[in-house]
Amino acid sequence: MDATTAGESGAAKHETTVERRSDRELVVTRTVNGSARLVFEAWTKAELFRQWWVPRSYGLNLVSCAMDARVGGAYRLAFLHEGSTMEFFGTYLEVTPHSRLVWTNEEGEGGTTVTTVTFDEIAGRTVVAVHDLYPSTEAADAAAGSTGAMPEALDQLDELLGSLASTATD
Amino acid sequence: MTLTGMKNHVHVLEQAGLVTTEKVGRVRTCRLCRRGLQDEAEWIERYRQLWSARFDELDMVVENLKRRERANGRNNRR
Repeated sequence: MDATTAGESGAAKHETTVERRSDRELVVTRTVNGSARLVFEAWTKAELFRQWWVPRSYGLNLVSCAMDARVGGAYRLAFLHEGSTMEFFGTYLEVTPHSRLVWTNEEGEGGTTVTTVTFDEIAGRTVVAVHDLYPSTEAADAAAGSTGAMPEALDQLDELLGSLASTATD
Repeated sequence: MTLTGMKNHVHVLEQAGLVTTEKVGRVRTCRLCRRGLQDEAEWIERYRQLWSARFDELDMVVENLKRRERANGRNNRR
């Protein structure tokens, strides 16, 4: 099967893969149609980052996004969800223009997660690999929680669908 | 694999909800717990969907950047 499908603008849309490399590591890989320079820019400038990090379909409200993408610089994202604010913050450990970004996620109670993003440009496209190293297996298991309310919402949907299904068979 | 190693391995699988074990006398029987494997697969799929949606949005941001650069390039040549 071809890994790409034609998009509306004629540009290919690429497949996103997730690999659980170990009990503490998750790796997401995706190709983006653009130079590493532009893709890196979209990952390091707050005004661009905030346009894509929270998919519109997820309905989460990103209220603030500050990033100082320099070694030792900080970032902080704040979301509004059902009246309460959720914050994600940390520090950049490595910033190598157009090829590598490393930051910490310090909001978790179980310790620090380290995210390494690499950008490999091949023939005008960029392969982006997002590697998360969690402080513990438990933190890795709970990682879906750090991505917002979606898993919880899906659980609720599962329950709802389950109850609808059982009603239908009654 | 040593017996201790085997015990540790089974313990990890049990903790992860991938197997259930039952000890009768000196024999411990392990059963594959389909629910655990299903949960893991579902969890990974949810995570993949989030990133897929996120990268779809990133595609649009990068397309806009490319368009902007092309437009700037044209302006600069004038």
